Amino acid sequence: MNCNAGSHDATARMRVAFVGKGGAGKSSIAGTFARLLARRDQPVLALDSDPLPGMPYALGIPVDDAPIPDDVVVERSEGSNEWVLRPGLTPEDLVDRYSVVCPDGVRYLQFGNTRGHISTMRRAQAAWSQVVREIDPQTYHLVGDLPGGTRQAMFGWGKYADTIVVVVEPTAKSLQVASRLLNLSKADWAPRQLILVANKLHSEADVIRIEERLQRPVTASIPRDVSVYANDRLGRSPLEGNDTQPFVQAVDTLLDQIVTTYADIDVPLSQKEVYS
Amino acid sequence: MKIAVVGKGGSGKTTTSAVLARVLARSGHSVVALDCDTNPNLGLSLGVGDTETERLLTLRQEVDAGESEHAVSWDQILDVYGTNAPDGVRLSVVTRIENPEPD
Repeated sequence: MNCNAGSHDATARMRVAFVGKGGAGKSSIAGTFARLLARRDQPVLALDSDPLPGMPYALGIPVDDAPIPDDVVVERSEGSNEWVLRPGLTPEDLVDRYSVVCPDGVRYLQFGNTRGHISTMRRAQAAWSQVVREIDPQTYHLVGDLPGGTRQAMFGWGKYADTIVVVVEPTAKSLQVASRLLNLSKADWAPRQLILVANKLHSEADVIRIEERLQRPVTASIPRDVSVYANDRLGRSPLEGNDTQPFVQAVDTLLDQIVTTYADIDVPLSQKEVYS
Repeated sequence: MKIAVVGKGGSGKTTTSAVLARVLARSGHSVVALDCDTNPNLGLSLGVGDTETERLLTLRQEVDAGESEHAVSWDQILDVYGTNAPDGVRLSVVTRIENPEPD
């Protein structure tokens, strides 16, 4: 575990980002994680920095295009092509006004979408980045989803997180991407903790193979769950149906485990405690 | 033929490219497989193994970091940034050509 982030603010909330190879299940896990956390009566901001966003499906919202408008930013100085939030607009205001409210009360903030014009995208991305950097750490738990692969992660787009979750499925290519991503622990801005989550598991043997290949324990194991595929075909969240699906239960266990690493954060440990 | 394979992460681009390349090579064509992914993995699907796939990645990272020169020709891309894959496919992690040598 890496501990270069200094002392943890006793009242700050969790800041978790999911990385991994494309198709490993980052968006599905991140979106489900965000909603399960919100069901524990917690304020959650879901952050999507994928220019081809997949998180809305998992969050259960029908849009994949929720742009931040151009006029939230102004040019730092004329011709500089550097954009900052316009005077008077705080990161909290921007989230209030322009994030999409999802089922269970999660708020979703999307980074520029590749369908937009490049100039628009630059402004939206500047706004998104500033919000992520400057938002009051006591307002929301942050749950972020990065694009597949190593590029954005290595460039530091997950810097806002103090927990980075590497999602891996038991295939050679996914394992190779995961092994590259585990090098994030050596970055100047290494997160407080970097944990490994195994997804789409067929058997316990998959876990052993992953741990042997990556020389690191798997923190949470998520089984291959046909209900996830059935929902995915229809563009539905893994939470559609009932909550006893193996995938949802495993993500809830992951949430429990991550919560315990923030011993100073008061989140009800089990969903049952909230609803009983 | 020049074929490029694109799609969402995890949908099978690399696997499809690798099988295409090897099937073409088996039917007697000379084939170059170019891995243009920012996270190059094509070597795994072509069957060159972990170690060789990582070696090619390291070569490319050295170029990206400015520690070694860009290729000046296609031949050099294949020679320096490439490796032999099964069925006679030549795999290369593509880098751009800079300061091309005159023909």
